[in-house]
Amino acid sequence: MFLQLVINSLAIGSLYALTAMGATLIYGILGILDIANAGAYLIGAYIGYYIYISTGQLVLAFLGAMLSVGLVGVVLHRTVYGPILAKPRMLSIIPLVAAVGLFTMSSDLIRLLCGAGTKAYNFRFPVDVVRVGSVTIQTTWLLIFALTAVLLVVLWVVLNKTKMGLAWRATAEDPDIARACGVNTNSAMALSYVLGYGFAAAAGIMTGILYNSITPALGEVPSYKMLAIIVLGGLGNPLGTVVAGLLIGFAEVMLSTYTVLPIPKDAVAFVVLIIVLLIKPSGLFGQRNKV
Amino acid sequence: MLEVQDLYVSYGMMEVLHGVDISVQDGELISVIGPNGAGKTTLIKTIMGLVKPKSGKILYDGQDITHLPAHKRAGLGIGYVPEGRHVFGRLTVEENLTIGAYSSSDKEKLKKNIDMVYEIFPRLAERKGQLARTMSGGEQQMLAIGRALTLSPRLLLIDEVSMGLMPIMVNTCFKVIHDLNKRGITVLVVEQNANKALKVADRGYVLETGNIVLTDTAENLRGNDVVQKAYLGT
Repeated sequence: MFLQLVINSLAIGSLYALTAMGATLIYGILGILDIANAGAYLIGAYIGYYIYISTGQLVLAFLGAMLSVGLVGVVLHRTVYGPILAKPRMLSIIPLVAAVGLFTMSSDLIRLLCGAGTKAYNFRFPVDVVRVGSVTIQTTWLLIFALTAVLLVVLWVVLNKTKMGLAWRATAEDPDIARACGVNTNSAMALSYVLGYGFAAAAGIMTGILYNSITPALGEVPSYKMLAIIVLGGLGNPLGTVVAGLLIGFAEVMLSTYTVLPIPKDAVAFVVLIIVLLIKPSGLFGQRNKV
Repeated sequence: MLEVQDLYVSYGMMEVLHGVDISVQDGELISVIGPNGAGKTTLIKTIMGLVKPKSGKILYDGQDITHLPAHKRAGLGIGYVPEGRHVFGRLTVEENLTIGAYSSSDKEKLKKNIDMVYEIFPRLAERKGQLARTMSGGEQQMLAIGRALTLSPRLLLIDEVSMGLMPIMVNTCFKVIHDLNKRGITVLVVEQNANKALKVADRGYVLETGNIVLTDTAENLRGNDVVQKAYLGT
C-alpha cells in the first residue's frame, strides 16, 4: 500500500513538474509567465487522443502531439509574445494578459471543435498490476512515472550537455552578452517553446490516460497549480521545478490518504507554497543555481 | 577595417551620440577616451549591434553591418568585452569560454583557442570547472577577455577594462591587450583611464557628450594641453 502511494506521488509529482516545465523554461529566458502552457497541455491531450483512436499507436500519439504543439509554441512566440516584448516600455502584465487570453481561447476552441463532453482514451496496458513481493503496483502509474522521468532526464541532458543547452543557459542569464558571443537568442527562445509546449502536451496525454478522461476543462487546474509549482521552485529554475512538482505530488497524495483534509486536494499546492514562501521568500531554489 | 560614419544614437527622446566618426585601420590599437556619460559604452554597444543607431553607418571590412544582428557580427570576427565584465556567473569558466565561440563549429580550433586563453591567463586554467560568479573581479575580467578570444576575433571591442580593478590588475589587462594587438588583433578600447589607454594605443579619440572633439596619435594626445588638464591630471 505505502509503496503504491509512493509510486502514485512520484507519478503525479513528475507529471506536475512536466506540466510546469514549459512555464519554467519560458520564464527563465523571456521573463514572462506563460499561462498558455496549460492550453498546450489541453490541446496536446486532444491531439494525442485523436491520433491514438485513429491509429491505435500510443507512441505516435505522443510524438505527433508533442511535435505539433511544440510548433504551435514557436508560432505563438513569433506572432504574439515576441512582438509584445519588443515594444519599448512594455509593462510586464501585458504578456501575462495575452497568455490568459490564449489559454481561454484554447479551451473554447477545443469545446467548439471537439464538443464539451468527456472523451476516454480507454488505453489499457496488457498487464494491470505488477507484483513486487507482497505489494502490487498499478502498471499505469509506474509507466507514467518512468516516462516522465525519461523526459526530464532528456531535458537535463539537452540543457547541460549540448551546445544548444549551453546557449539556452547563457541567454537565460544575459541575452545581450549571449548575442555578442554569437548566440542567436531567438533560437534559444524557440527551444524553450518547443520543449516547453511539447512537454506540456505529453503531460496532457499522460493525465488523459491516467484518469481515462479528457474534457475541454482539463487545463484549468494545471493553469493555476503550475504557478504554485514554478514559484515554489524559484521561478525559472528547471531543477527547482522538478523538486517542487514532486513535493506537491507527495503532499497531495499523502495528505489526502492519511489525513482528513479540511480543504480541497487542489488547494494543497497553495498551502505548501505559502508555507515555503514564509520561510524562504525566493522559493526552494531562488538562488538560481546551475540548472 | 572599421568605419563608423556620422553615427547618431538615442535612447527614447535622449540623443546620446551626435554624429560620431571613427575609423580603425587593420592592426591598429585605438583608444576612445572621455568622461563618464560621454557615450563611450553606447558607441561600443552600437558597433557590436546591441544598440540600434538612429542614423549613420557602420562598415566592417567594407561591408555595411549597420543593420546586422549582433550574433552575426560575432560570426564575422568581432569580439566584445563588456563593461563591468558580465561573465555568465552560473556557467563554469570553461563553459564561458566555450560559449564565446558559439558561432564556430570547429571543435579543434576551439580547443586550441581555449588552450591559448589558459596560456595567457594561467589562473583561469586552475579554475576551469568553477562557476564564474565565485571568482574575484580580476579573474572575471580575465575571463571576459578570454571569452572574447575563443572565436579568433579580428577586431576586439573592449569597454572600460580598468573599471573596479586593483591597479596591478589594470596593468596586467593593458599588457594583455597590448600583446594581443602585437599578435595581429585590431583593438578598439573605450576607457576612462586615459593615462593607461593612451600609453598602449596608436591613435586616440576624445569623446565628450556625444561628439568627437579631438583625434590624433596617442603620443600627440598625451602631449596635448587640453587632454593633460582634463584627463591625465597633470
